[in-house]
Amino acid sequence: MPLSTINDSDLDRLGLETPIGRIDRALKQLWEGDEAKTRASLINLAIYTEDGCQLVADNELLDHVAAQHACRALLILALPEAQPPRARAWIQALCRPYQGKQIVCSEQISFVLEGGDAAQVQNIVFAHLDSDLPLVVWWQADLTKNFEERLYSRIDTLIIDSARWEDPARQFDALLAAMNAEGGDFDLRDLAWTRSHFMRTALAACFQDATACHNLSKLQTIRITHLKGQRTTALLLAAWINQRLKASLSVELIEKDTGPALQGLVLEGEGVRGEVRRDCDSCFVRVSATCGEHTREDLLPADVDSDAELVSELLSRFHGSTLYSSMLPFVRSMLK
Amino acid sequence: MPELENPFQETLLSRHRAEPCSVVIFGATGDLTHRKLIPAIYNIAAAGDLPPQFKVVGFARRDKTDEGFRKELEEGNRQNSRQGHNDELWKSFSQCIHYHRSEFEDLEGYKSLAKLLDQFDAERGTPANRLFYLASAPEAFKPILEMIRAAGLNEGVKGKWARVVCEKPFGKDLATAQGLNAVVAATFAEKDTYRIDHYLGKETAQNIMVLRFANSIFEPNWNSRYIDHVQITCAENLGMEGGRGGYYDTAGALRDMVQNHLLQLVSLVAMEPPTDLSADSVRDEKVKVIRALRPLVGPEEVGKHVIRAQYTAGSVDGAPRVGYRQEDRVNPESQTEPYVALRLMIDTWRWQGVPFYIRVGKQLPKKATEISIHFKKPPQVPFATSTMLKNSENTLVIRIQPDEGIALRILCKQPGQAMSIQQVKMDFRYSSSFGKASPEAYERLLLDAMAGDATLFARRDEVENAWRFIDEIENAWHKSDTPPTMHEYPAGSWGPKEADDLLRADGREWRLL
Repeated sequence: MPLSTINDSDLDRLGLETPIGRIDRALKQLWEGDEAKTRASLINLAIYTEDGCQLVADNELLDHVAAQHACRALLILALPEAQPPRARAWIQALCRPYQGKQIVCSEQISFVLEGGDAAQVQNIVFAHLDSDLPLVVWWQADLTKNFEERLYSRIDTLIIDSARWEDPARQFDALLAAMNAEGGDFDLRDLAWTRSHFMRTALAACFQDATACHNLSKLQTIRITHLKGQRTTALLLAAWINQRLKASLSVELIEKDTGPALQGLVLEGEGVRGEVRRDCDSCFVRVSATCGEHTREDLLPADVDSDAELVSELLSRFHGSTLYSSMLPFVRSMLK
Repeated sequence: MPELENPFQETLLSRHRAEPCSVVIFGATGDLTHRKLIPAIYNIAAAGDLPPQFKVVGFARRDKTDEGFRKELEEGNRQNSRQGHNDELWKSFSQCIHYHRSEFEDLEGYKSLAKLLDQFDAERGTPANRLFYLASAPEAFKPILEMIRAAGLNEGVKGKWARVVCEKPFGKDLATAQGLNAVVAATFAEKDTYRIDHYLGKETAQNIMVLRFANSIFEPNWNSRYIDHVQITCAENLGMEGGRGGYYDTAGALRDMVQNHLLQLVSLVAMEPPTDLSADSVRDEKVKVIRALRPLVGPEEVGKHVIRAQYTAGSVDGAPRVGYRQEDRVNPESQTEPYVALRLMIDTWRWQGVPFYIRVGKQLPKKATEISIHFKKPPQVPFATSTMLKNSENTLVIRIQPDEGIALRILCKQPGQAMSIQQVKMDFRYSSSFGKASPEAYERLLLDAMAGDATLFARRDEVENAWRFIDEIENAWHKSDTPPTMHEYPAGSWGPKEADDLLRADGREWRLL
């Protein structure tokens, strides 16, 4: 989508347009003379997209995330096919009141890059980082293009959303190749995986007591109800269950047109049944575990589904886990 | 049936995992249960961290039904829950709350409690662990513990654990603390005894160890070679509101705050690195600090190192305040101190010659608890005059409450042609940097007790050694013929002049908060 097709009012929301060479000076001016504002930053958080339709949503997402996680936010919309090459930038402060008297702000720099290549993206990112802070990148575009070693070797945490991928098998291959390459030791976070966190927690609670735990080996089937477009999310959940049980339970996926991303999970076998159910507008899940005659029910919290909440949640649990990476081969084989 | 690992639990690795249990709260109709304990448990539930089939039983003297008790607690939760109150969650959560009426000294009441807990186990289909929380008045601790033992509730059922959490105050001197410890020890093993000090549940208190031992720039400088002195201030801008004078006048600042909270902070600041993060490794190091406190023996020694004071009429934030002796439920001739300042010396290699100044008081200008580490000045600054360097030592400030965070004061050249030096502050605030609110201290501590992690709870020897140190001061104040003077300060000021003199005599002054 060339820049000319992006609505001017969308670009206005990005803040003050600034020549790229004057960004630092413009940021400095942003803070001068306003002592009531405190600038805070714990990370560099960059979103890279090649979809102009995402611009407004991503801008709002950064505003939301920055309220929870003080950061230097970079929003990069690259349009490699657009001609002639042109690069534009905007700056803005993302502020929120604190204790009613003080304003705490993060900085956001937005770029729209028409034409250009991977090197241009890298240069833009690296030239505008807040020094000494970790770099977290949410790569929303195709991993097979522009996602090069010189870029990912500098990334501390890479965020993806595998549920958005049109061809997940190809994207997972590109991801695994990057992870296995020199410099591919970034911490990887998949929003599709984070999306199932509450389900996994609820499932753990479901089989917490000794009786239920002893019946795990009798489980035979996994049935997951998910929203249309969240098939990979459901597959990741199924892969995790099989990996944790060291089993190959049969998997049935049921797709719904409306409702939350993950709506139901049933594990069943002879005389044993565990169910996690999320109603449409509820922020809780109902958990029930049945072993023979004995049934137990619980109400547990469900995570909010929005991307902004998911990214916030993910950044709250910053320490890395090897669990997701170890599951990727399982998922990859399920996609074949 | 042997215990099996729940394979799905890997999801929860980053959190403390509470083990399935029933919690019995003694003194359940009191303020603590309504304001702190139930809201804490509710918030643990809201985070999804409560174990399945969890039960909480309120044990108290008044007649109540389960439903009536839940209704009262709901009101308290609405007012005090950190994350707000959700009706849907409360409806489900409140079903785990039950009420059990009994006198604390009535064995039959404990036997029927045992039956109730057995009934919960039968409903679960498996026996559960039991956590007994003593939130009653301290004089009831002894009969409660004796009755728990007599009813056999102190023994875990079929290999499950039974633990006790004791609220403060844990004794009022060494003798009563030892007596109480003996009763506790006759009922529960030390590993199953959790003496709560809610200061240790605060995020910044926990962060002291991280700050010291995870940052290589601090630990090499954390000793008498580089540190001039340490100050700990715990200031309250309130007095004896809400009828608090009745209890407070029997305790005083030294017993109420210094013996527990402030000596815990001193030990976290002064301890050696633990070999690991197990509860006993950490507490072994903390207790060494308390043991190494130089004793203050006799009125002369106490008078030289400890300043006690009462506030007189004054004003705080523009509002008039009465003097301490005119407060509600305070003895008009009271010899209890709402303010105390101490100079402590820790006789270890690391802290030789480094004073720790502590002050705690009521009716001070603001509410703040802060630790400040004052580093020594550089031997020479050739381009600076002595006036430039007044009060110019590097200071690391750890703010415990409110506005939790860390600040470092350093010197910089002022912009301009002249060589002028200016103090600047690098300031890290939890709330600015981490949008997510920290859990309440009680949430963390309750979860730890359910998970079997005693790191943030005081051990028997910590409590007794702290009392041993405090008792000498109390004796000099109340049992000697020549007790040190009780000084005065106007409400709303930063304490008595004599407390300023305590530092001035050493060429130092209290940090301005």
